[in-house]
Amino acid sequence: MTITADKVEVMSLKNYNRKFALSLTAAIMAAGTASAYEVPLSFFGTNMPPLDFHGFASQGFLYSDNYNYLGNDTKDGSFKFTEAALNVSLNPFPRTRITAQAFTYDVGEAGKYDVVLDYASAEYTFNDEVGIRGGRIRRPQGIYNDIQDVDVARTFVLLPQGMYDARWRDFYVSLDGGEFFGTIPLQRAGSMAYDVYAGFVNPSMDGGLAMQLHNSLPSFIHLDSITPAAMFGGQLWWNTPIDGLRFGASGLILPSSTFVSTIQTPGGPIHPDNANNVVVQQYSAEYLWRGWTFQSEFYFSHLQPAAAGMSDTHIFSWYASAAYRFNKWFEAGSYYTEYYGDTSQSGNSLFYQKDAALSLRFDPTSWWVLKVEGHYIRGTGLLQDNSDNPVQNDNGWFMLAVKTTFSF
Amino acid sequence: MKSFSLKAGLLVCLLVAGAFRADALDGAVVIANNSVAADNLTADALKDIYTGKTKYWDGGQAIIIGVLPDKTDAALQQACGMDTSSFKTFWQRLAFSGRGQEPKKADDAAALIALVASTKGAIAIVPADAALTGVKKIEVK
Repeated sequence: MTITADKVEVMSLKNYNRKFALSLTAAIMAAGTASAYEVPLSFFGTNMPPLDFHGFASQGFLYSDNYNYLGNDTKDGSFKFTEAALNVSLNPFPRTRITAQAFTYDVGEAGKYDVVLDYASAEYTFNDEVGIRGGRIRRPQGIYNDIQDVDVARTFVLLPQGMYDARWRDFYVSLDGGEFFGTIPLQRAGSMAYDVYAGFVNPSMDGGLAMQLHNSLPSFIHLDSITPAAMFGGQLWWNTPIDGLRFGASGLILPSSTFVSTIQTPGGPIHPDNANNVVVQQYSAEYLWRGWTFQSEFYFSHLQPAAAGMSDTHIFSWYASAAYRFNKWFEAGSYYTEYYGDTSQSGNSLFYQKDAALSLRFDPTSWWVLKVEGHYIRGTGLLQDNSDNPVQNDNGWFMLAVKTTFSF
Repeated sequence: MKSFSLKAGLLVCLLVAGAFRADALDGAVVIANNSVAADNLTADALKDIYTGKTKYWDGGQAIIIGVLPDKTDAALQQACGMDTSSFKTFWQRLAFSGRGQEPKKADDAAALIALVASTKGAIAIVPADAALTGVKKIEVK
């Protein structure tokens, strides 16, 4: 194997990113015993309120008894399952808030510990009904999209992957743009919370979307880059007058999601049209009752290729989950989910994945969480990495996920 | 069929009953920093604060929530309809998605009262028998 100067530079950068990410993770773990950090700004000679710091670091372990899923080595057991974040916020002026978060992750071959500016936004809240937020923001969609990588905020290690794919966070979670938000009271009918957003997303070539495209393209087509895509959408949550019960609907449109590829031909390289129009709908229900959390969501995605002769693809996924908190230390939960990567081939196990999960969460302290989770899965529709899984069938398979998180 | 209808009716009654809360907090009082202009809040306004719908006082000062885990759990449930674990998870979701500021924790009532006294815009639920120094009591109507 020949290693070029370019590759050495890239490898050095990766090593630097990995060291930086590990340092960030270690610092957050060391800080875990504190509830939060405040830094007064008085030493700058201002009367500004203090900076408020929070963070978390998660380390997981994945083992699959049949396929390399969420990594190219999970059949042997893999620790390539890390997330860490550090955020800061400040209320410098009345009704104004500025906040930013650095984030790094590695899920199998996705993420690669790249440290990214996860969000950095300024918001002004006119009143409870209307606020505006701009910058890099986390995109709301369903119950979990904007918190899908925040392990402490849920019972499960792995969310239903057909809807919240851990490898796709670079594409789905953040966008550069703005949103209006607020909550409109509905008197005796509860209230309606809304978010309406627009902006651009710039997927990473180390992310899950790039991995999936690379995996799905024939070997003679090379994926060069993914073009930043405009996206807009919104979300409504009806908070019913019944405490803990809410229903949501969200939508997303990417009018022209494009990736650039090259096919080498005898006449020179050509670049086929890879533009797609994507429309996503998601419907959600959640009920918190005493120690119980009940959730269910339905996800529909319609992919329309711009190129003539290419057929549309419909993706569908749903789940139902229940979790119960026994006391402040223990919580158990279970869900069942189905994913269909192409609804026209819903009977083909290469395109579906059905997953029954059972999870136990233990909170030894307010800043430390341990989780263990088993999955019984049928189908291979979400494997993505066909080269790591040359033989695929419809037999059931098992996956173990373990994770610990420190937060402050 | 009749049995099913009866059960469904009972379930609806239980759900609707959960929507109503007592206006006063059992064994606890609401306090705020002296910079807060309000002297009283409705139960709905208090709930809006604890569920992140209202993030600023009328003058624009950011609301900082202080909490006392394990000591005022029942009152917290009354105030916002969430148990302590759900409340913590709810605010972690907001904080790590850049949409809210996580409540500040204190180990005991005296520490929480001191935190509220020294933090502009702060509000907290403390045990009714706690000695209130340097803070104002907010009446919940």
